[in-house]
Amino acid sequence: MAVTERPRIYEGSRIPSPIPSMLVLPEELRGSDEILQVNFGPNHPSTHGVLRLVVDLSGERVVGLRAVIGYLHTGFEKNMEQKTWWKAITYAPRVDYVSYQNNELVFVLAVEKLLGIEVPPKATWMRTLLAELNRIHSHLVFLGTGALELGAISMFWYAFRERDQILDLFELLTGARMHTRYYQVGGLAEDIPKGFDPEARKFCEWMPKAIDEYEAILSRNEIWLERTQGIGLLSAADAITLGQSGPVLRASGVDWDLRRDQGYLAYPEIDFDVPVYPNGDVYDRYKVRIDEMRQSVRIVEQCLDAMPEGPWIADDRKVVLPPRHELHTSMESLIHHFKIVTEGFRVPEGEVYVTVESPRGELGCYVVSDGGPRPWRVKFRAPSFVALEATATCMRDALIADFIAIVGSLDTLMGEVDR
Amino acid sequence: MERREAHDETTLVVDPARLLEACTHLRDEEGFDVLSDLTAVDYLGWAEKGVAGYFGTRAGRDLNAPATEGASVYSQGFARSPEPKPTRFAINYHLLAVRPGAPRVRVQIWVDEGQPVPSVIKIWPTADWHEREQFDLMGITFEGHPHLRRIIMEDDWEGHPLRKDYPLGGEPVRFSGDE
Amino acid sequence: MAVRKKQRLADYGLNSERVLWRGKGPGVFEQELGNLEDRLMLSTVDKAVAWAQGSSIWPDTFGLACCAIEMMSIVSSRYDIARFGAEVFRSSPRQADLLIVSGRVAHKMAAPLRQIYDQMLEPKWVIAMGACASSGGMFNNYTILQGVDKIVAVDIHVPGCPPRPEALVEGIVRLQEKIKAGVPPAYEIRGVAS
Repeated sequence: MAVTERPRIYEGSRIPSPIPSMLVLPEELRGSDEILQVNFGPNHPSTHGVLRLVVDLSGERVVGLRAVIGYLHTGFEKNMEQKTWWKAITYAPRVDYVSYQNNELVFVLAVEKLLGIEVPPKATWMRTLLAELNRIHSHLVFLGTGALELGAISMFWYAFRERDQILDLFELLTGARMHTRYYQVGGLAEDIPKGFDPEARKFCEWMPKAIDEYEAILSRNEIWLERTQGIGLLSAADAITLGQSGPVLRASGVDWDLRRDQGYLAYPEIDFDVPVYPNGDVYDRYKVRIDEMRQSVRIVEQCLDAMPEGPWIADDRKVVLPPRHELHTSMESLIHHFKIVTEGFRVPEGEVYVTVESPRGELGCYVVSDGGPRPWRVKFRAPSFVALEATATCMRDALIADFIAIVGSLDTLMGEVDR
Repeated sequence: MERREAHDETTLVVDPARLLEACTHLRDEEGFDVLSDLTAVDYLGWAEKGVAGYFGTRAGRDLNAPATEGASVYSQGFARSPEPKPTRFAINYHLLAVRPGAPRVRVQIWVDEGQPVPSVIKIWPTADWHEREQFDLMGITFEGHPHLRRIIMEDDWEGHPLRKDYPLGGEPVRFSGDE
Repeated sequence: MAVRKKQRLADYGLNSERVLWRGKGPGVFEQELGNLEDRLMLSTVDKAVAWAQGSSIWPDTFGLACCAIEMMSIVSSRYDIARFGAEVFRSSPRQADLLIVSGRVAHKMAAPLRQIYDQMLEPKWVIAMGACASSGGMFNNYTILQGVDKIVAVDIHVPGCPPRPEALVEGIVRLQEKIKAGVPPAYEIRGVAS
C-alpha cells in the first residue's frame, strides 16, 4: 500500500478483547499449518533490552502477539525497603537507566512531600535543567537506536555524538556520566561548579543545529516516511483507555503534558511549547520526540538564565547533613550528622504518589512510610510497562517488517518494565 | 466509604464489594479516565517492631505522650508509633483525569490474605498487566481477570516476592579478611 | 636501524598502563604476562594466530541494562572500539567471539544467557562488565544472579556502575593482551564446559 493510501487514524477501538495486551490467534487459525510462531527472544538486537515477544505469523501478517517480560527483574522495590531513605535514592536511577535523573527526581520529590520540606529555588531550577537535559539524552538514545533498527545506521553516530556532550555536562557537574546520584532529599548533593554555565550554554548553542541535521537526514527521507507513516496506529481514545502518557499519547492527538498541566519544579515559570501530532503513527511519535528535544533546549537556556544564587540544599538539620565546618564547633551538629548517617532521618508516616513527566511518559512513585528510617513500600509506576500493553493494539494488522518500527517507537525500557 | 486528605492528595477508602461500582462512577461521572497505577501494599509487621530510639512500641517502653499540637513528628520525645492497619493488604488505585489541573484521586481497599478482589479490567483495560504484576509479586487474586498468570517472575516460581514474609534472598557476602 | 632484542609483550608495543605513565615500568599485569609468555613458549604460528584472534574480537550484542548504554557509547565515534579491532557487534552469537555481559542478570535471564554462550563457537571470551555482572552489584537479592561467573567462565571483570567507556575499552585491551600472550580462554583454564 502506498504511503498516501494508508489509514492515518481509526474510529472506534482496536483494543483486543478479552485480554487487552495480547493478540490471541483466531479460532479458525489455531493448529493450522499456515501459522508460524516466531520467538523474538530476550536477546535481540532490536528489542530495547530484554523483551521477549512471541509472534504468530500468517505469511507476513501478525495475527498473534504475546509479550513476555521479567527478564530484568531486579527486585528494586524489595531492596529499597531494606535501606535507609538516603541509600534508597541510589537504587532509583537504575530503574529507568536512560533517563536516570527523572527516577531520582520522582523518588526525592515523593520523600520531600512526605517530609514537608522546603527546597531552595536554586535546587529547583537545577533539577529542572537536569530533567530537561536528561530528556534530550533519552530522546537521542531513542533516535539513535530506533533509526539504527530501521536501517538508518548513520543516525546512531550522529545522535551519540551529542549524547556524549550531554554526558560530559553531567560529568562536569556531578562527577559521573550516568547514575549521577546528584539529588538529595532537600535539594542537591553539592553546589554547582563554576564551569558548568558556559559549557551548558555552548551545548545549547550547538544542539539546535544538530537537531536540524537529524531532521535533514530523516524527516523527509522517502524511505523513512514509507517505513514509519501509517504504521502502529493508536487512536486518542484508545491511548487514554490504555493509560498511555508522554510522547505516545501526544502523538495520538491528546494535548497532555504533566509539566504544563500538573506543574512541578520550576516549570510553571518557564515558557515552552508542547508538541502534539494527530495521526498516532510511528512517524508522529518520532516528530513529537524531535520537537520535544528542541523545546528542551529552550527550557535549558531559560533555566541557565534564571538560575538563582543561594543555598543548594534545605537547612533542616534533622534531614540534611550540617555543613562540615560546623562539626568542629557545634555539638548538636555532630549529633545530627551522626544520627543522619547511621540511622537515617525519619520520614513521618503517610503515603504519597508523585508523578513527573519522564521522557517516556508519566513516571510515578508511590511511597509509604511508617515513620521510620526506611521506606515501607516504594512502587515506581513505569510508563514503559503501560506502553508495552499497547503493543497488541498498535500491532493489529501489522506486517512483520513494521513490527520493529512499532516496538521502537513506543520507546520502552526494560529496566523500568521489570523493575 | 471514607474520604481522607493528606499531602494535597485525596484518598477514598472503599469497601471491596463495591469497588466496581465506585470505579465505574469515578470513570463515568467524575471523568477519571486514566488508571495511572495499581499498587498493593503488604502491612504485615506494621508498627509491631518499635523503630529504635524515641518511638516506643505500644506494648512497652512507651515514653511518649501522644504528639502535642504543632510538634514536629520527629522531634525527640513527642513521637508515636503508627496506628495498626485493619487488614494485611491495601490495594491502591491511582486515578487521573485528563483535564487541566490534573485532578488525581486514590481509591484504597483493604483486603485480607486470600481474599479475591474484583478486577477493574473492564473499566480500564490498562489494569491487565498491573493486576498480573500484583498477583505475581504480592499474591492478590483478581476475580474476573481473563489471564491471571505470573508476569515478572518465572512461571513456576513459588511464593510472592514482595510480601514482607518473603526473605530478601541473595548470598552472604564473604570478606577476604575472614579467611 | 639497530635491532632491539624483543622479549617482553611490552616491547611489541602492547602497552596498557605504560601508556599513561611513561617511565613507570611494567605493571603487575604485564609482568605476569611476561612470565606466562616465557613459560608457555608459543611457537611462531601460535603467536601469529593469537595475534590475529586478539586483534579482531567481535563482540555479541548482549546488552541487558545500564551498562549496555555505556557499551553503546564505545561503539559511537568518541570512544571508538573499532580501532581496537571490535569492528562490528554481531547479533548472532554464532558469529561472535566475545560476550560482553553488560548489566544485571536475573535468574530468568540466566538460561538465555547460557544458551547464547553455548551457541558461540570456540575460542570465545567473556567480559563481565560492571558490578552487577561481576558479582551481583548492589542487588543482593532473590532475583539477581550474584556474579555471571556462576554460569559462564569469565575472562575479564570490569568494575564500575556503570564503568566508564574508557574502562570497558581498557578491559578489552587487556583481554587482547592476554590473548596475544597466549593465555587460553577462561573455560580452558577453569576446565568447565564451554
